[in-house]
Amino acid sequence: MSDWIKRFLPFVSLVALCALIAALEPKFLSAGNLAGVARQTTVITVMAMGMTMVMVSGGIDLSVGSMLALAGVFGAFAMVAGAPVIVGILVAIAAGAFFGCVNGLAVATLSIPPFIVTLGAMGIYRGIALLVTNGNAVVGLPSSFGYLAEGNLFGIIPVPLLIVVVIALTVHFILSNTKLGRYCYAIGSNLEAARYAGVRVSRYQMVFYAILGALTGLAGSIEAARLVTGQPTSGEGYELRVIAAVVIGGGSLSGGQGTVVGTIIGSLIMGVLANGANLLRISSFTQQILIGAVIVLAVTFDEFQRRRLESAES
Amino acid sequence: MSPQTPTLEMRGITKSFAGNSVLAEVNLAAAAGEVHALVGENGAGKSTLMKILAGVHQPDAGQILIDGQPVRFARPADALAYGIAMIYQELSLAPHLSVAENIFLGREPLAVAPLGVINQRKLNERAAKLLAEFGFKLNPRARVGRLSAADRQLVEITRAIVEAKRVIVMDEPTSSLTAREVEELFRLIRDLKARGLAIIYISHRLEELAEIADRLTILRDGRAVYAGQWGEVSTDEMIRHMAGRELKEIFPPRQAKAGEVRLRVEHLTRPPAFQDVSFEARAGEVIGLAGLAGAGRTELVEAIFGAQVAESGKIWLNGSPLDFAHPSQSVKRGLSLLTEDRKRTGLCLNLSSATNITLANVRALIKGWRLQRRLEIAAANEYIQKLHIRPPSPAKVVARLSGGNQQKVLLARWLYANSQVFLLDEPTRGVDVAARSEIYRAINTLAEAGAAVVMVSSDLPELLGMADRILVMRRGRIVAELNAKQTTQEEILKHAAVEEAESLESGVWSQDSQLTTPDSRLQTPD
Repeated sequence: MSDWIKRFLPFVSLVALCALIAALEPKFLSAGNLAGVARQTTVITVMAMGMTMVMVSGGIDLSVGSMLALAGVFGAFAMVAGAPVIVGILVAIAAGAFFGCVNGLAVATLSIPPFIVTLGAMGIYRGIALLVTNGNAVVGLPSSFGYLAEGNLFGIIPVPLLIVVVIALTVHFILSNTKLGRYCYAIGSNLEAARYAGVRVSRYQMVFYAILGALTGLAGSIEAARLVTGQPTSGEGYELRVIAAVVIGGGSLSGGQGTVVGTIIGSLIMGVLANGANLLRISSFTQQILIGAVIVLAVTFDEFQRRRLESAES
Repeated sequence: MSPQTPTLEMRGITKSFAGNSVLAEVNLAAAAGEVHALVGENGAGKSTLMKILAGVHQPDAGQILIDGQPVRFARPADALAYGIAMIYQELSLAPHLSVAENIFLGREPLAVAPLGVINQRKLNERAAKLLAEFGFKLNPRARVGRLSAADRQLVEITRAIVEAKRVIVMDEPTSSLTAREVEELFRLIRDLKARGLAIIYISHRLEELAEIADRLTILRDGRAVYAGQWGEVSTDEMIRHMAGRELKEIFPPRQAKAGEVRLRVEHLTRPPAFQDVSFEARAGEVIGLAGLAGAGRTELVEAIFGAQVAESGKIWLNGSPLDFAHPSQSVKRGLSLLTEDRKRTGLCLNLSSATNITLANVRALIKGWRLQRRLEIAAANEYIQKLHIRPPSPAKVVARLSGGNQQKVLLARWLYANSQVFLLDEPTRGVDVAARSEIYRAINTLAEAGAAVVMVSSDLPELLGMADRILVMRRGRIVAELNAKQTTQEEILKHAAVEEAESLESGVWSQDSQLTTPDSRLQTPD
């Protein structure tokens, strides 16, 4: 019974939230507005897919906001230097994967809690981004780059939405239908037990962080395309929104739990909340309070569930 | 002295965890000025009974009476309010606070009462006075985290005595104390008796109890099988009461012939845990590894498995060398380790039985381009049936299984991984009787099918009943190899503990709490 609640609570909350906003402001349901919500949440959702894997495996990465800026800047440099748009995007993805690998390596080998390691990385990556750009935006990107964020496939399907769908399906497949996914849950549930069962824990941890890094690089490209510049200051505070999306969607801060569907719903809840608040002319200050409250509620619920499970153990 | 109304009476206490009965209608009375010895094997229910008295657990049935009046303890604070204090086996001190702060935790003398400002000087003075009175040489200002295990035990004892007004429960209080400190403690206990406290004293060390006990209750399988004055029954009879059953009922016979060498260990060394260990295990053989706690048995099997790195030595598996790099290699080559601590290094507690059973062989679930749930469920069901895992549901989260069933899930994991050499570290610790005999039967089936089994156990009758050969370890070395059919518990113990002369004084009943007689160790699935 409680498993059922845990599974559907985020979804029910999202539907209720949409219904409430639609009742107060019918414009919410217009195609234009909904597409807007999809576009606005893309960057967070793409990163949150990777964060789901990392958090299911018992890790966390606070550096994704900085990494987004740094990878975006690298991609922008490549394009300014004359590389085609697709190469620029690939550079950003590769840079992200590399930084993710570094994070994963540090987490797996230094035996320092991932929270601390990536807190440090957050400062380092941001610093590098500011250093290599002198704090200025990288301008002069090809105009076709904007298609990644603003374009429509066949004139109707927003490109970012398409990206989110493809990535969500892929990550979902990995988590539920592959060895990688199975080990992800096992490592997050009990790292030592996974090691004793013959899982090469460090290697897999690196893979999870690298995937998160690659997806962050892609998100960095989308963000840069949206701004049509490489901004070294972009993505500030994104790490918290990404983590919040996972947690609201039922992911556990202590690992072993979380799903792609849950995370998407978590990301949408925050996106819809922000959009609805804008439509209803609730100030952005109040919005922050609302989102903060939702995060606390979600974590409280997670903790409550965990205790129930633990009391069943004793 | 024998007052009419006992200070404390527990009547008909019954408790079960997750369907496992742990206590059944246990009666226990403790009178003022008496030491009541509570004995029984690991898992007989002593600790659970005491946790009920402390208000940590609530009984399913039965009642507690204080001075003849029924009381209910919903939480530990309720028991404390009645002056019932407890010294737990596992220490429960705050390591970052000082000795004095720990002793008076929750009852600090205040300088400015309404503000809750603590009078540090008074706190330390009082603690110093108490410690001096008890004869414990401790600095009240010392940080508890820096103290030795024995000193921490003394702090724990001091705190409990300060709290105790009526009853004080001591659960293996001497386990980490030196002989001198034990003497101080006994002097203190006599003092407490004279002050009219009722003392419940739990211990494995019968010769120690003989010095202080007035009354005796023996628990077995959650029942009080004997209650009376201390000294009415002999030590032998006490042991018989504790052990209970005949051994041959528990250990099924096995038809297996030793075949080719499956595992060969040569000069494996990692000081100080183990040194120069060599042995071989053949197909169809069950080898027992005996020894006291700390003899290096767990470290040895972990090193063979590759979970810890050995410094030097060689391991051969089915005739080819194994470099102890990582458990993943061992698993791939058919070497498995059922770990001693299933919660820490065995199970993924919040995942399903099916996921846990298949974890070491996920490869087998992949058909085509994806992992097949169908295969996973089929595999899980097969082992759930074979090993009688209850409840028989592959989707059940293993945290909700009893200890015995959790252990069977882990055994199933290695069966599914097609292992040929099984290192089993305390395979029946915390497992109830029914599950134990199923585990024994599974081990026999393995041996009969040509696997080699190396079984670490602190349960001597289990080793005698299951093993073909018994290797005895002492201080990291194998000191004896015994034929299980011809040896005795005494002989094993003699080899295991020859240097620790004290351990032998108690004869069969070892001083070491790790070594227990057989039996159903019905334990709470904690």
